[in-house]
Amino acid sequence: MGVDLFEITVNLVKMIFIFVMMVNAVPLLVWVERRGSAFIQNRYGPNRVGPLGLVQLLADAVKFIFKEEFVPGKGHRLVFYLAPVVALIPGALAFAAIPLSMPIELGEFSQIPLGLFTIDLGETYGPYRFAFQGYEIGIGIVFVLGVSSLAAYALLMAGWGSANKYSLYGALRASAQTISYELALGLSLVGILLLFNTFNFKEIVEIQSQALTFSFLGSQMTVPYLPNWGIIYQPVGAIIFFAAMFAETNRLPFDLPEAEAELVAGYHTEYGGIKMNMFYIGEYGHMLVASALMVTFYFGGYTLYPFFTPETVNQFWSETMGLTGNPVALLSSLSLHLVFMVKLVIFLWVFIHVRWTLPRFRYDQLMDLGWKTMLPWALANTILTAVVILIMRAAWS
Amino acid sequence: MLGAAIPFYILSFLVLFFAYKTITSPNPIHCALHLAITMINLAFIFFGLNSPFIGGVQLVVYAGAVMVLFVMVLMLFDLKTEVRAFSRGLFSSFLKVASSGFLAGILIVGVLMSTDMLDVTSDSVGVGVKATSSTDIALLLFNQYVFAFEVLGLLLLLVAVGAVAVSRIPGGTHAND
Amino acid sequence: MPMTEAFLNVGLNHYLILSALLFTMGMIGVLMRKNVIVILMGIELMLNAVNLSFISFSSYSGNLNGQIMVFFVMTIAAAEAAVGLALAVAIYKRYKEINIRFFEQLRG
Repeated sequence: MGVDLFEITVNLVKMIFIFVMMVNAVPLLVWVERRGSAFIQNRYGPNRVGPLGLVQLLADAVKFIFKEEFVPGKGHRLVFYLAPVVALIPGALAFAAIPLSMPIELGEFSQIPLGLFTIDLGETYGPYRFAFQGYEIGIGIVFVLGVSSLAAYALLMAGWGSANKYSLYGALRASAQTISYELALGLSLVGILLLFNTFNFKEIVEIQSQALTFSFLGSQMTVPYLPNWGIIYQPVGAIIFFAAMFAETNRLPFDLPEAEAELVAGYHTEYGGIKMNMFYIGEYGHMLVASALMVTFYFGGYTLYPFFTPETVNQFWSETMGLTGNPVALLSSLSLHLVFMVKLVIFLWVFIHVRWTLPRFRYDQLMDLGWKTMLPWALANTILTAVVILIMRAAWS
Repeated sequence: MLGAAIPFYILSFLVLFFAYKTITSPNPIHCALHLAITMINLAFIFFGLNSPFIGGVQLVVYAGAVMVLFVMVLMLFDLKTEVRAFSRGLFSSFLKVASSGFLAGILIVGVLMSTDMLDVTSDSVGVGVKATSSTDIALLLFNQYVFAFEVLGLLLLLVAVGAVAVSRIPGGTHAND
Repeated sequence: MPMTEAFLNVGLNHYLILSALLFTMGMIGVLMRKNVIVILMGIELMLNAVNLSFISFSSYSGNLNGQIMVFFVMTIAAAEAAVGLALAVAIYKRYKEINIRFFEQLRG
């Protein structure tokens, strides 16, 4: 059975949907950030336009689109215009590779029931399997790391294209920071790779959806009621990963590239209107990717062991609610998606909270933290994990 | 058949076009950006050739690290568009291009004539070849090639020390430490 | 039509020809340009062309050794870029230009 038109259409729609999802999350996140910062700093935040100030986003969007657009006189036109577009790409590509829920496995169907009436399709559409992500890719982790390392280009292009010294300094700082922290980021993940033996996100999540199981000196141990999450095995790795992700997103404790007291606004000094907004979308897209990766690697992805695993959710919809066939597959995927979203939102809030809590590093402190603290710790974590795994999994009989 | 041909021709057109732009753009930064796009396209060709791991490494190492380094260094120099980007001399230039073209011709003719010498399936990609897993590569790397791997590690260490020694400023940025 | 057949049936030869063309481009870049960094880029292009042919051989013959070789080539290319850029920085500091002809004056 080959790939038919229905499948291709669904996959395309899915990819567009995920991109739109990412882009549309941004205004909401901006709203949460402004209200949240106001909450933290004991003030009101936007509360005039619409209920809770929610329509403010719409007003902002309209303002951004209709602003005058300009290119700095000595700027490089093409590079200047391309930079915001390039800023969007890594976040979107990486986010589309992360599984947001378990795959939907549809059996054969020939009609679509819609409550009171049904649509008859005339012919039978055969069993499908749709991954709940933009595209499935076997070596998910390597792909996501590779794609997010492309983010440095947007900053460099913006900084150089604006022909402005502040922009250039911001861009150079940003890219140096991104490259430096990428090392710690990659190394902190090696522990997880050793532990779960796979590059594939879906397999990582599946392993984490069971009870805590590990081999202790050659014998299998199971701890009931505790999930098999990465954070339990790799607390140090998780902390390093999270900190490095902050540096990759260029957000506050590490927002040296746009330190407004020193560099006006860093690499986007010369940008205004919708182009500026695209940098914001890129930044929040990075935040989304970072939170999603954190959830996937260390906090069980779209599962939550005793309550929400693929088995229990399936059981709930089929036995407790008495449904059969395709609706069960659809509804269980959607419920697990909700679990994922709740975890994602928690981490996004952590990102926002940290931004409004911590002060900024000095540049040499930032570099020292990256090279002299996080890199050795990540290395030590890798070596320790390898040794412990070797001892624990060896046959001791 | 067509499904394999269309992506291949699109990607190879992009690769060749941006490689051409790389060697002809008068501004070195444009060269570097074009080369980065070439690298990314090549990574996707590698994905299509059932080597996803190498494709990912290509993205991380070449596009993500090496080319960013190039672009950063060029931006630090703040070079303007070069007045004289190419080497002098009409006759010698002609000779260079002609000899390179001759080399390409020899290579292509050689490839076309040696079609039957290699015992491979010349169908579309992936027939009879399973997608290589990273586990297989790792096993090969750490068993058969482990000596080369270690030597490479030593080489990288040497290069790091050497690069710092060559580009170091007397006194240095951390002179007071 | 045998010609369209040969064009549409993408096989090992197509990848090897692409690799040969890419290699030639890199070579022309190395021979023609005067900027050291652009020459380095030409070398990177040539290395990439070689990688491409390694990968296509490896993929079509089901032999993983080619991929290992690409892995090594990539590492060495990264090292070479680091050294080359360090040299270019050293040259730029002295002459405020990175032309290949200044490399004649490199002395320990």
